[in-house]
Amino acid sequence: MKIKIIHKRLLLPALLLLCFQAAIAQFTVSGKVTDANGEGLPGATVAVVGASRGTSADMSGNFRLEIAGSSATLAISYTGFKTVNLQVTSANTTVDVIMEEDFAGLDEVVVSGLATNVKRANLANAVSSITSDELVGTTVQSTMDGALYGKLTGVNIISNSGAPGGGTTVKFRGITTLNGNSQPLYIVDGVYYDNSNFRSNTNFVSQAAGQGSTQFQDNPSNRVADLDPEDIDRIEVLKGASAAAIYGSRAAAGVVIISTKRGRRDGSTEVNVSQSVGFQQQLKKLGVRDWDATKVEASFGAAEVAKYNKAVSDGKVYNYEDELFGEKGILNTTRLSINGGTEKFGYYAGVTRKSEDGIVKNTGYDKTSVRLNLDPKLFKWADLQINLNYVNSESDRGYFNNDNTSTTLGVSYVSTPSWADLFPDAQGNYPNNAYAPSNFLQTRDLITNKEKVDRVLGGGIGTFHLWSNDQNSLKLIVRGGADQYTLRTRTIFPRELQFQKDGNGTNGVSIAGSANSFGTNIAAFLVHNFTTGGNVSFRTQGGVTQENLDQDFINTLATQLIGSQTNLNQAGSVQVIQERLKQVDKGFFAQEEVNFKDMAIFTVGIRGDKSSRNGDVNKLFYYPKASLALNIHEITDLGSTLSQFKLRGAFGQSGNFGPFGATYTPLNPIIIGGNTGSIIGITLGNTTIGPEKQTEIEAGFDLGIVQNRFNLEFTYYVKSVKDLILLVNTPSASGFTSAWRNAADLKNNGFEIALDLNPVHARNFNWDSRISFWKNTAKITRLDVPAYNLGAFGATLGTYRIEEGKSPTQVVGIDPAAEPGKPFVFGDAEPDFQVAFNNSLHYNNWDLSFLFHWKQGGKNINLSTLLSDIFGTSADYDDKSIDPSGTLGNGAYRLSQLGVSAGAWVENAGYVRLREVALKYNLPSSWFKDKAKVRIGFSGRNLLNFFDYNSYDPEVSNFGTNAISSNVEVTPFPSAKSFFFTIGASF
Amino acid sequence: MILRNISKFIAPALLVLGFAACNIETIEDPNNPSVGAITSNASLSEIQNLVTGIEGGMRLNLGFYFDGVGAIGREIYRFSTSDPRFTSDLLGKGSATLDNNTFYTTNPYAARYRTVKNANILLEAVENSTAITTDEARSAAKGFANTIKAHELLLVWVQQYDNGIRIDVSDPDNLGPFVGEGDHKAALRAIATLLDDGFAQLNSGGTAFPFSLSSGFSGFDTPASFAKVNRALLARVQAYNENWDNALQALAGSFLDLNGDLSLGAYHPYSTGGGDALNPQWYPLNATGESRVVQPSFVTDAEAGDTRLSKATKRADTEFQDGLQSDYDLTVYATNATPIPIIRNEELILLFAEASIQKGDATSLNNAVGALNIIRTAAGLGNYSGGTTQAELITEMLKQRRYSLFGEGHRWVDMRRYNLLGTLPIDRAGDDVWPKFPRPQNED
Repeated sequence: MKIKIIHKRLLLPALLLLCFQAAIAQFTVSGKVTDANGEGLPGATVAVVGASRGTSADMSGNFRLEIAGSSATLAISYTGFKTVNLQVTSANTTVDVIMEEDFAGLDEVVVSGLATNVKRANLANAVSSITSDELVGTTVQSTMDGALYGKLTGVNIISNSGAPGGGTTVKFRGITTLNGNSQPLYIVDGVYYDNSNFRSNTNFVSQAAGQGSTQFQDNPSNRVADLDPEDIDRIEVLKGASAAAIYGSRAAAGVVIISTKRGRRDGSTEVNVSQSVGFQQQLKKLGVRDWDATKVEASFGAAEVAKYNKAVSDGKVYNYEDELFGEKGILNTTRLSINGGTEKFGYYAGVTRKSEDGIVKNTGYDKTSVRLNLDPKLFKWADLQINLNYVNSESDRGYFNNDNTSTTLGVSYVSTPSWADLFPDAQGNYPNNAYAPSNFLQTRDLITNKEKVDRVLGGGIGTFHLWSNDQNSLKLIVRGGADQYTLRTRTIFPRELQFQKDGNGTNGVSIAGSANSFGTNIAAFLVHNFTTGGNVSFRTQGGVTQENLDQDFINTLATQLIGSQTNLNQAGSVQVIQERLKQVDKGFFAQEEVNFKDMAIFTVGIRGDKSSRNGDVNKLFYYPKASLALNIHEITDLGSTLSQFKLRGAFGQSGNFGPFGATYTPLNPIIIGGNTGSIIGITLGNTTIGPEKQTEIEAGFDLGIVQNRFNLEFTYYVKSVKDLILLVNTPSASGFTSAWRNAADLKNNGFEIALDLNPVHARNFNWDSRISFWKNTAKITRLDVPAYNLGAFGATLGTYRIEEGKSPTQVVGIDPAAEPGKPFVFGDAEPDFQVAFNNSLHYNNWDLSFLFHWKQGGKNINLSTLLSDIFGTSADYDDKSIDPSGTLGNGAYRLSQLGVSAGAWVENAGYVRLREVALKYNLPSSWFKDKAKVRIGFSGRNLLNFFDYNSYDPEVSNFGTNAISSNVEVTPFPSAKSFFFTIGASF
Repeated sequence: MILRNISKFIAPALLVLGFAACNIETIEDPNNPSVGAITSNASLSEIQNLVTGIEGGMRLNLGFYFDGVGAIGREIYRFSTSDPRFTSDLLGKGSATLDNNTFYTTNPYAARYRTVKNANILLEAVENSTAITTDEARSAAKGFANTIKAHELLLVWVQQYDNGIRIDVSDPDNLGPFVGEGDHKAALRAIATLLDDGFAQLNSGGTAFPFSLSSGFSGFDTPASFAKVNRALLARVQAYNENWDNALQALAGSFLDLNGDLSLGAYHPYSTGGGDALNPQWYPLNATGESRVVQPSFVTDAEAGDTRLSKATKRADTEFQDGLQSDYDLTVYATNATPIPIIRNEELILLFAEASIQKGDATSLNNAVGALNIIRTAAGLGNYSGGTTQAELITEMLKQRRYSLFGEGHRWVDMRRYNLLGTLPIDRAGDDVWPKFPRPQNED
């Protein structure tokens, strides 16, 4: 019977509805929305409760709204303020609304189901969220993931290198996998946003994979870098399965839900323009070794002394660190956005043009992003959201990280002493570097190593209000989208390079790669709300989902280039790699939420998923969840000081697929004498492999004091992962060196504390402050295979070790103190704890904000030091600060440890840094006749850095987003600090 | 009320049920052929792919193999600015030792067994293939597979020595035992058996293989001629095993030609063609940082006029690293596309000399001197004029092996066979000469 009603409603012509509406009585309400100080709140939302009518306040906070009937309740809301409910009647048409600041953010809505939100006050999980203001309000951000630093509890973010264009490892609440996808799932306006990375295949020249390590170390950027942070309205982070179970088998590493900005639908138009200019420079200079003849003889032999003396007398001793990393890269961001619309049609358009030069010559990042978000209201009962985004980016990433041919800029730099002469002559001919296979100045000037991306993201969300009465409402939400991009990599090593010519290489290398990624997802949900007379509400939802991903990576490599030609056919030899990935996932989802008078909010839900990535493609894996929030302050009166006290607990499960191809035992192609053959792959596939299954339980409380001006949030969690998929080492006599197996469990536990303070709140001066603290501890709780070393470059130089009862990121290596048959444990890559201290101060027209980030402990394996010691070029080579006996210089001491202990290269990677700082001034609006708001400001990223770590930056990862062995350094692209001047205006 | 609501959930429930019924199809590996298909019924072109794969597999990680045995046998230094372990671990610098989980140990070991695995897949594919129509062709293919397996196992034995080696590795979940643990000869006997099996299969293999071989086996690409490579390998195994009569017998069936081209033999071919491999033992002259230089005693110990000194070419500048130095580049191979021998006539002549010396009777000693003089003459030296006792001839034979087979992975094994590892030069105080590599960590 109900179905019949729905059916009828769907068929009703919209015009008819509108006619009915016109016949009903109506009146107009107007007023002004201000804060406690009487300042207008532009953009505040004014909505009629129970109807889909609404508007937003203009630049001065004034609004005007037509209302049907003779009375209504208005809900006035504004980000950062508590929602006000107000009764209006046709007799009372002018209302002024004074809004109270919502220090605890209790009214903001947070995702709670695949298609629904809940007020933060009623949320049972510690979901972190970031607003646009927090994300990009302080300073200019290069990429979205980089902008998250220090702004979320429970999150560990590592920038893989300083190369322009990003490349970031993000981990929520510890390690969740050893070999599977370690990076969170990104969802942008309901569309699954692919975050893969594709190698450029510089490995062909660097040979980085294949000797000490079989992993590629091409330093690619990951694709979430394509998203323009300026377009983002808010980000919500589901850190573990208790919140993310609704995303099922892709959610084990957490989910980042991104909503982009939307049009205001009040008939007004807002235009924002801004321009930032700035520069970046090397974050920390190591300096170069201070040479004299004795040191030269000791490190390079007696024959070298004469060359050194001649260079000194000719004035040809150089500081190559300044030469290579000394550029001041110009940073330029231009931004334009327009948003506006009417009640029937909202629109938002944003354009960003960004160009950044790196600290190494010929490196940089260019990005253009165009976004159009449309919100047409089709019918009274049907809303549509359409989101379109096009991004074009190009990054020149230099040539860094580990190699086995001593040709990367990093390795050849550390192997070259200061008296080498690498500069080109007047005709532009570069001399050969006598100390290394590469003249890194020549390499820097002549190579190309570029990533270019064209990405189109399109999505839509349709909300259909099928039926409602006094107590019930039923809506259908259909959501779908597509994410398509082409990543083109272009790498050229011309034949005149020292390591390409005269038989030293392959007479030039030209590599063209193209990766096509096409992902689609579609989902449909029914949501039913039912409220009893006693103010108990039930919300039921259920739906189905499907996601497809199709990726095709083609890399063509040409060698024996003809002259200066770089076309792939102008070559004596060409080889091609193609790797494809296909994946289909299907799932369903159902959830029930019960809200008992805002006192107790209980939720249960389940997701079922199957995927072509599992050994059994049609087996459904179930991921349940349950949570409870108790608002004690709603249940009993806690007195006037304690304004909020909430207890919350949540449980949930989620999954993670094994790596693509884990179910296959392939025969790989191999070429000999012009014939192609098949050779068995080195990894034995597993046709019974299942997903990794995570169970998370979290519990905590929220406490608000003095009208919530002081808030404390505490969360404890236990996150266990069962059936971890291991690439188990097999006896290589089997022909396979490894095999895939569900063979281990691990457990993370930790806690997160956030303290929000509003210590000063006066008419002209406001100070908001947030201190957060988080700590995670991980342990392997089951291991079906013997303990084994993993990642990095073997026990001599420090490696990771997977061992039952120990942390999965423990750093071990050889050492005389080691027990026989076991490596020595030097520490753990995981930090002891992290603290963020975020402040924003507002005085009259001035804004000052700053964010300090303190990471305590955590070990890195620093092999840049090893390489520079071997060539005697370490800046601290002659200092005597580490030899316990005080006799050897640092360089000589560390070298004496080679083959004895790996301890010399395992270093503390803790730091304290000023992540962001900004000082801004809002020009008096009277200067612009109140027609425009203009502000100017200075800001910076990473301006202050304190760490003992003996290299450019403790934040580094030679192995990219690898689950375990990040925190390894081999001559990376050094990181930078940046300074900006910004001017922006809104009309 | 609630009951009435329930009816509303029929629609979503139906949706969910409808979904659960719709299946996902298994996606076949989009990137590679599968083992299962090839072993159940391979086509002739798939058989050919496996054979080509075996030849390609034999070359994998050979560079590290030769660097390992060459450096420990004090023929070369492998200098590497990017990896210090070539000059620390391999040479036993200070307290450095060979590690059981580092590339120089594990990579060559795994590559040899990977080729063995491919040969085992070939054996299974040949057995089940209906595309091979005659028993002769089937037998020939098996003879090829077993001969190659034996060669690969022999290279494993060289490094593992009395750690023992696994012979039966056909089931990855149930590997056979280590043969010859503590008794290196047991493993050699197993390899000899495998060669004999292959030889028998080749002998009943008709006139042609059901596949073609690369240019590396030019002249040895029929079952009958390939059988001569099989016998040559057996001669090396029997000599290592000190079964001198058997060695001589094997030599008789091999391509040994006392008056023939010393370079006649089976090879790993290399080329600059697309996707092909380059000779991993080749570096350009005067390379710095990443280089392969000659241990100086090779030049200083040589007889004047020995043309084999062309294998050590004087550099423009001395190359230093890690307290070691050399003025000579390793130039065994002329270009980066020069083939690397699997086994060649020069070694067979020297094996003939060795077996004859060990026989010890006057005729045999005389034969040995004759063979040694063939080698000396080819090297531009006069006939051997030293003493002709067995011991003196062994010394001369080892010297000729040192110069004739320089850089081809023999010196270290020879010194080990004759208990002479202690006589190899120590370049830095505290350096060690290792008798064998450790068993890879993952084997235990």
